[in-house]
Amino acid sequence: MIAILGLAVGVVVGLLVQPTVPVELQPYLPIAVVAALDALFGGLRALLDGIFNDRVFLTSFLSNVVVAAFIVFLGDQLGVGTQLSTAVVVVLGIRIFSNAASIRRHLFRA
Amino acid sequence: MAQRHAPVTAPRAVDESMTLLNELQRRPLDPGYAEAAARRAAAPSRARGGVAWVLVVVLSGTLGVGVAAAAVVLRQPTADDRQARQLLEAQVQQRKDEVQRLSASNAALAAEVSTLQQSALSGTDPALLATTQRWSIAAGTAPVTGPGLRIVLSDAQAAAADPENLDLRVQDVDLQVLVNGLWAAGAEAIAINGQRVSGTTAIRSAGSAVLVDLVPLVGPYTVDAIGGASDLQTKLALSSAGQHIATLRATYGIGVSITAQATLHLPGSGATPLVAASVPDDALAAAGLAGPTPAAGVPESGPDNKEVP
Repeated sequence: MIAILGLAVGVVVGLLVQPTVPVELQPYLPIAVVAALDALFGGLRALLDGIFNDRVFLTSFLSNVVVAAFIVFLGDQLGVGTQLSTAVVVVLGIRIFSNAASIRRHLFRA
Repeated sequence: MAQRHAPVTAPRAVDESMTLLNELQRRPLDPGYAEAAARRAAAPSRARGGVAWVLVVVLSGTLGVGVAAAAVVLRQPTADDRQARQLLEAQVQQRKDEVQRLSASNAALAAEVSTLQQSALSGTDPALLATTQRWSIAAGTAPVTGPGLRIVLSDAQAAAADPENLDLRVQDVDLQVLVNGLWAAGAEAIAINGQRVSGTTAIRSAGSAVLVDLVPLVGPYTVDAIGGASDLQTKLALSSAGQHIATLRATYGIGVSITAQATLHLPGSGATPLVAASVPDDALAAAGLAGPTPAAGVPESGPDNKEVP
């Protein structure tokens, strides 16, 4: 729970302060945000399943973002950056959809 | 008895070839959550240390700031677009400054040339100086002043509401007709928005701008013509150019104002370098320019590239 609260506080602070992101990191931002969304939906579902765990949430969040950015970086180096980005988005998108469906079942019992 | 097949431990799934998709669909949740839950169920939960608590707060806060920053950056126009725009703006400004600098230097040089010409010729050959001055008025290179007619053409009021309709705007052809009509009516010098119209001046359009002598002008267009004001006005009204202007005013609502001016100052256009044309020797002799001492009388670097022996 503390992790989700901390995340919410961090988002508010980030929106207020508007820190600048280094230009070198900017190509990886879209994929990193999608990966963060995936971890967020996973955490929400785990919360509703009653098995939420701060440490698992944070590690999955961090590793998702880092791995997704790394895959894009690797793809850029190999010249298949766009295709790999698409693959990552497809996989994460499917997961987000399934988790969202599960959350919906929890919330609305339907 | 030897088995012909390996023992089947589990029934083969029908969709075994799609394990990746199945995995994604059926277990979208990080398995870590289930493991952690199982661990907690096995061992009674112990109180978490203060250090771990602080770590969780700091890490989650950092991640939140990062996500917010990323989202904010992604919503802005990309830095590349901005940079390209800034670069183009800087280039446009730079070229504008350069044009301004060059036209200023061009005007200064033309003034210097005419001063030098005057000082060189006034002592040696006053007749040639007079001829040169008379011709430079006709050629449009010398600034002139005198009474004349000022005609202002402005876009129709409706043009602002209908920017696509070119009929409501003053076009290059209107200025061409007007300038030709003024020449025909006996104008001695003409300028449009301060651009002197000489024998080689083109009036044309590029996009929505009217170019006079390759300089883009914006409306309203002020056409100054030096000559007898009443005479010019009468002859212009009787000519086909006058009819054209009347049509512009009546049909398209283009603003036309014609006023007589006691004094008009028209600038000189820059010297027109002649690239291909030259004056043959016998014509020079006939004009009386090739006098007994032509080399002394005519400076080598005249305003034109005319080949003078």
